[in-house]
Amino acid sequence: MVRGSKEVLQKAAKTLSDILVCPLSKQPLRYCEESNSLISDAIGVAFPIKDGVPCLVPRDGKILEEEDVSKPENVANLSAVSEENQGRSA
Amino acid sequence: MRAVILWRKQQLFPLACRCRSRTFVSDSTSKLQIFDRQRKRAQRDRAAWFTPAHDPLLHSVSQNLLDRLQDCKKTFPTALCLGGSLQPIISSLSIPPVNGGVEKLIVMDASYDMVQACRNTCRASSDNAVQTEFLVADEEFLPIKESSVDLVVSCLGLHWTNDLPGAMIQSRLALKPDGLFLAAILGGETLKELRIACTLAQMEREGGISPRVSPLAQVRDAGNLLTRAGFTLPGVDVDEYIVKYESALELIEHLRAMGETNALSQMNNILKRDTALATAAIYDSMFSSEDGTVPATFQVIYMTGWREHSSQQKAKRRGSATISFKDIQKQFGSQS
Repeated sequence: MVRGSKEVLQKAAKTLSDILVCPLSKQPLRYCEESNSLISDAIGVAFPIKDGVPCLVPRDGKILEEEDVSKPENVANLSAVSEENQGRSA
Repeated sequence: MRAVILWRKQQLFPLACRCRSRTFVSDSTSKLQIFDRQRKRAQRDRAAWFTPAHDPLLHSVSQNLLDRLQDCKKTFPTALCLGGSLQPIISSLSIPPVNGGVEKLIVMDASYDMVQACRNTCRASSDNAVQTEFLVADEEFLPIKESSVDLVVSCLGLHWTNDLPGAMIQSRLALKPDGLFLAAILGGETLKELRIACTLAQMEREGGISPRVSPLAQVRDAGNLLTRAGFTLPGVDVDEYIVKYESALELIEHLRAMGETNALSQMNNILKRDTALATAAIYDSMFSSEDGTVPATFQVIYMTGWREHSSQQKAKRRGSATISFKDIQKQFGSQS
């Protein structure tokens, strides 16, 4: 069962990967086998793949720790936060 | 029953509740948050378990929407199906001769359970002529690469988006040039009976009203939306469906099964039993027909638009005509 779902998952990830982009930045996504997630490098967020179905709702995304992005409460207002930061630095 | 875009009707119903929610601005951002998308997700999760296999309303709306594909000579190898009534759309797009040449179908919804339910029915069916992929995503944040799909279908889902023009612009960008956008949304006449009954019952029992039925787009808005989103050759038409229920409570059950219950971000979370029963009683007494059933109106606005392409017909430049209309009239007038 686990192996089966993994195959399905990889297949889905492959066929969809040429169409999917990050929902917030519209930049390409990278598939990470280790954490089984799709990673948007542009904003440093990982979107999980549940049972072969990529979950790309901004709220489902997890902010990656290693990125020097300050951690907001939810990802939905991430763009707003980054805009704010830009506004401050400018 | 069907009316063209020119069809216009005076809005007869109290606009108070609608205006109040339209002007609501959330505290943190300046963006208008009319609907609670998270709540809608939860409602659709629930609807995934309650939706009957064959809902006549959803079935006829999706049939009507996909009928438009048969009018096109073009084929659409890659199709994206946005949230809303997914099951009927998937089942009709999976039958090869009449599905507009769809080879690859991407099904998207904000609710994981809904996607899972669709996947289970899809796996259960034996014929897999169409490659179907599933995806959980929000229409307001469309994760689709630019110019990658030939067809975007949205059946009864987009009326829950806070930023409808934004969602439509994103769909247009996802389309390849000369790609087709098909959408069905509920229009402002939808559930007018319920709107009246709720208002009256709340006035009577609570001495004030709060929005119970969500604000919906008007027919005249739909054309503007398509143009604003940048679609070419826009087309809008309207259908009204009247569904008969045994009682007003059954209507609410049906709405719940479709995941179409109230998700206003500003809604009053408390519904008193008293008010609910009063609403049902007012509904029954005001609108019930002779045979004892109560009708509910569903106004569906169908929108069609294309992404720009050089092969599409365009209006000629003003003043570029070489023949006068008078001459044409003379020509044809003499023939007849």
